[in-house]
Amino acid sequence: MTTNNEAILQVNDLHITFNTFSGKVHAVRGVQFDLRKGETLAIVGESGSGKSVTNKAIVGILSKNANIERGNIIYRGADLTQYSERQFTQIRGSKISMIFQDPMSSLNPIMKVGKQIMEALRVRNISKAEARQRAIELMIAVGIPDPEKRFEQYPFQFSGGMRQRIVIAIALACDPEVLICDEPTTALDVTIQAQILDLIKQIQKERDLSVIFITHDLGVVANVADRVAVMYAGKIVEYGTVDEIFYNPKHPYTWSLLVSMPDLDTSSSDELLVIPGTPPNMLYPPKGDAFAPRNRYAMRIDYEEDPPMYRVSDTHYAATWLLHPNAPKVEIPDVLKKRIAQQTERLVR
Amino acid sequence: MKLETDNNREQNPFEFVQREKQLADEKFEGKAIGFFKDAMLRFRKNNASFVAAFFIGLIILMAIIAPLLSSFSYREQHIEWALLPPRVPGIEKIGIWDGTKVMDIKKTSLDEKYKGSIVKVMEEYDMDYRGRKIPMVKAKVDMYELKGAKDTYFWMGTDALGRDQWTRLWKGTRISLLIGFMAVTINVLIGVTYGSISGYYGGTVDMVMQRIIEILSGVPPLVLVILFVMYLGAGILPFILAMIVTGWIGMSRMIRAQFYKYKGQEYVLASRTMGAKDRLLIFRHILPNAIGPIITQATFAVPGAIFIESFLSYLGLGLGAPEPSIGVLLAEGQKVLLEHPHLTLFPAIVISILMLSFNLFGNGLRDAFDPTLRGQE
Amino acid sequence: MLRYISQRLIAMAITLFLIISLLFFLVHSMPGSIVNDPMLPIDIKERIEAKYHLDKPLVVQYVYFLGDFLTFNFGDSIKVQPKVPVFDIIKDKLPITIQLNILALLFTLPIGVICGIMAALKKNTATDHGLNMMVVLFISVPSFVIAALLQYIVAFKWELVPILLSAEQALTWTKFKSMILPILALSFGEIAIVTRYLRAELCETLNSDYMLLARTKGLSQMQATLRHAIRNSFIPLANIFIPMIFSILSGAIVIENIFSVPGLGSLSINAINALDHPLTIAVMFFYSLIALISILVVDLSYGIIDPRIRMGGKK
Repeated sequence: MTTNNEAILQVNDLHITFNTFSGKVHAVRGVQFDLRKGETLAIVGESGSGKSVTNKAIVGILSKNANIERGNIIYRGADLTQYSERQFTQIRGSKISMIFQDPMSSLNPIMKVGKQIMEALRVRNISKAEARQRAIELMIAVGIPDPEKRFEQYPFQFSGGMRQRIVIAIALACDPEVLICDEPTTALDVTIQAQILDLIKQIQKERDLSVIFITHDLGVVANVADRVAVMYAGKIVEYGTVDEIFYNPKHPYTWSLLVSMPDLDTSSSDELLVIPGTPPNMLYPPKGDAFAPRNRYAMRIDYEEDPPMYRVSDTHYAATWLLHPNAPKVEIPDVLKKRIAQQTERLVR
Repeated sequence: MKLETDNNREQNPFEFVQREKQLADEKFEGKAIGFFKDAMLRFRKNNASFVAAFFIGLIILMAIIAPLLSSFSYREQHIEWALLPPRVPGIEKIGIWDGTKVMDIKKTSLDEKYKGSIVKVMEEYDMDYRGRKIPMVKAKVDMYELKGAKDTYFWMGTDALGRDQWTRLWKGTRISLLIGFMAVTINVLIGVTYGSISGYYGGTVDMVMQRIIEILSGVPPLVLVILFVMYLGAGILPFILAMIVTGWIGMSRMIRAQFYKYKGQEYVLASRTMGAKDRLLIFRHILPNAIGPIITQATFAVPGAIFIESFLSYLGLGLGAPEPSIGVLLAEGQKVLLEHPHLTLFPAIVISILMLSFNLFGNGLRDAFDPTLRGQE
Repeated sequence: MLRYISQRLIAMAITLFLIISLLFFLVHSMPGSIVNDPMLPIDIKERIEAKYHLDKPLVVQYVYFLGDFLTFNFGDSIKVQPKVPVFDIIKDKLPITIQLNILALLFTLPIGVICGIMAALKKNTATDHGLNMMVVLFISVPSFVIAALLQYIVAFKWELVPILLSAEQALTWTKFKSMILPILALSFGEIAIVTRYLRAELCETLNSDYMLLARTKGLSQMQATLRHAIRNSFIPLANIFIPMIFSILSGAIVIENIFSVPGLGSLSINAINALDHPLTIAVMFFYSLIALISILVVDLSYGIIDPRIRMGGKK
């Protein structure tokens, strides 16, 4: 791992379970990653793979029935899993902030948006006048036209994209250094998606933010991320730089993800592969590799033992038995190979 | 997925086991559980509702057979046996419901009027009456002995006209339940029809129909009901009609909401593009979704109707004598509550248990039909 | 907002006309009208008919009737207080009823709200289960049964408060003490309804995304709950507020009777039982009027509280 940049946030061997009426759900089973100053880390995975849960644990807003079973989250030397609610309120917003998926529901419908932005400042004892001034500056920064007028309006008077801008303004209000974006564009129209992505990228550059970007959309990942972590069934199965993941993926699950993503060059004759089967029921996490039943390249050992993280390069790791020296050599599927070739070609041109 | 790996440990672990296998979605395992069966499964887990269902059944059963168990009919009057306290064979031996009553009587009348019927003298004292001291006793008096009903048993006592309260209570329960069930059934029919039309067609039809509801619901329901009963006169049918005037509104609102929720969904649109008629869409595709809420809401409506019935009886708009209902009995009991609490006690217990049971039963049904809980253990 | 108000006002006016028309219809179909007495001499009958406009066509009669009602001219009572104008009787009885209802409302709301908030914040704990049991019990047991129970036990057996309402005119301590039981009997069921409703609303709001956002921007759980969740869950409370006013008003009819409160409730029972139709009809009209005014007040304040209505946005 290159260490030209300090890791400000480290998640080590995190295990989270939920108590439900049906039993214990193992949502996160040993997640491990770090986040460096000024970078954008994308966490990719299907719904239910534990990406949101991991990040909620970082901000300390897990629901009451969640337990952190094992592992820690180190932020600037302090272990967040040991933090009390009171300590969390100190860092939430001012150090680590979060944006949610649905801007329609993440704003309080009966409070003026200006007040909602100000609130983040007011709880830190900033005077009303100054908070108002800062709120308007923030609204300008996130690209809201006519902020003085918009300040006095309610969320229902805003479009989806505008609301997401307000949510971003709220998240930025207290100058955090880590911003977690939980599928911030999923609920938006495609054209608006691009604007919001650009906004996040621009803000990230301006403020030297470290961003964790949760998504299931690989297109978005390619657009914003420096590094990518692929999650499956509560574990990170592969991580590396965005180039490594897109051009040299090692885990069969990453292959499947990449193949199932259509792009401009996908002609109708091309095979658009779907991933067969469904993710495992996390009430009863399977023995061995959770992806094995859906994996065309599953080996006997996949059903018996969980694969360790194999190092591919200094920045690139993958948890698959295929990287074991004894494993048969497997080539990337042809479809994907073709895809990558086309991509590279396009880049060269 | 069970593999033969267990017995072949020595085999190479790094060997593809499903390279050529057609990977497909896992086959659905276990039997498909039907809607009602699933609801029933979850309903049975809810103990409170199960007990409630038992009590409802018990009360209905009693309403049917209990009047037959007593040798008195509900309209048979024995003026000389008026206002007797309850007396139950067997239980009377342990000192409750033994037909006795604690009374303050003049000492002098002990040997006259009350001769032979005094069970126990509890306390003697003097009472000042216009300067004179009158010796009094507090005594437990066997009312049955006193009123010459030695060998009769009124399990719940008698009312002011000497009618058997047991028979009247269950007869009254029968009438209250009948009114409740009838009113709710008709309300469901009207509500479902009105709500379906309003919700399915939408637009102007819906607008007009909703304004009508808005105006109707502005009138206090009780005022409407009172006026209706005043106009039609007392009786079972006027009661039911009065409860229908506004009773269907809640149901129609719920059905309309269901239609708005489902009519835009893809499967309905798909069916429509394939040429399904309105009737098919309404009855086959949309309405069945509402079956759970309909049953739940109807269950909650029954105690409501029973409440209105007893309320009206309380107002003096009740059924014509001698027909009893729980409300009539309560209203009669209220007049002599402080002296003869047993006349209020039993109807009050029955109506409370009945309403409690229906509400708990409804709660259980609501959870059982809740689609978000479906399939959970 | 203007459009909203005018919409409400129009709906209300139509409701009022509906009620009056219903009453008119009722008066005209009521058996036992004085003019139907065959023993009455023709000239007297005609004089009476002229006085009550009974000789005019139905439409004209309706207009007169309407005019009478809107000017609170309901005629005289026949049996309860013969020859006394109905309006004066009602005017006499109204204050105590309103007093009782408002006190019950003032008692119900805070307690219901507190119980609801407690149940939601302590969801699935012993507190919550206890409150749930209370809710089911008080929703199920009819108010008049509770009233009878309170009267028999608290007032008669324990002698803590008077059995019946004190006859004093002014609101003294004695009077207030005698009002406690009627107020309690009126409130229990409503408290349960408020508790149940608020609990459900608050539980939903507490799980909403904007609560998460409020917390991620640095508000503590407590601050977020107070500023966002509780405030927001109050708004739908208006949905049960109107039925609650109806229910307390109508509950009061029986409760007043049980505790001998000389209010509108006892009056309506007397009027109904004495077949004093002009009085009954006027009382019913008054009940409707009180209800309509309450609805209007609630609707308008709802409009002010909820910006989505105030600004004319979609709900």
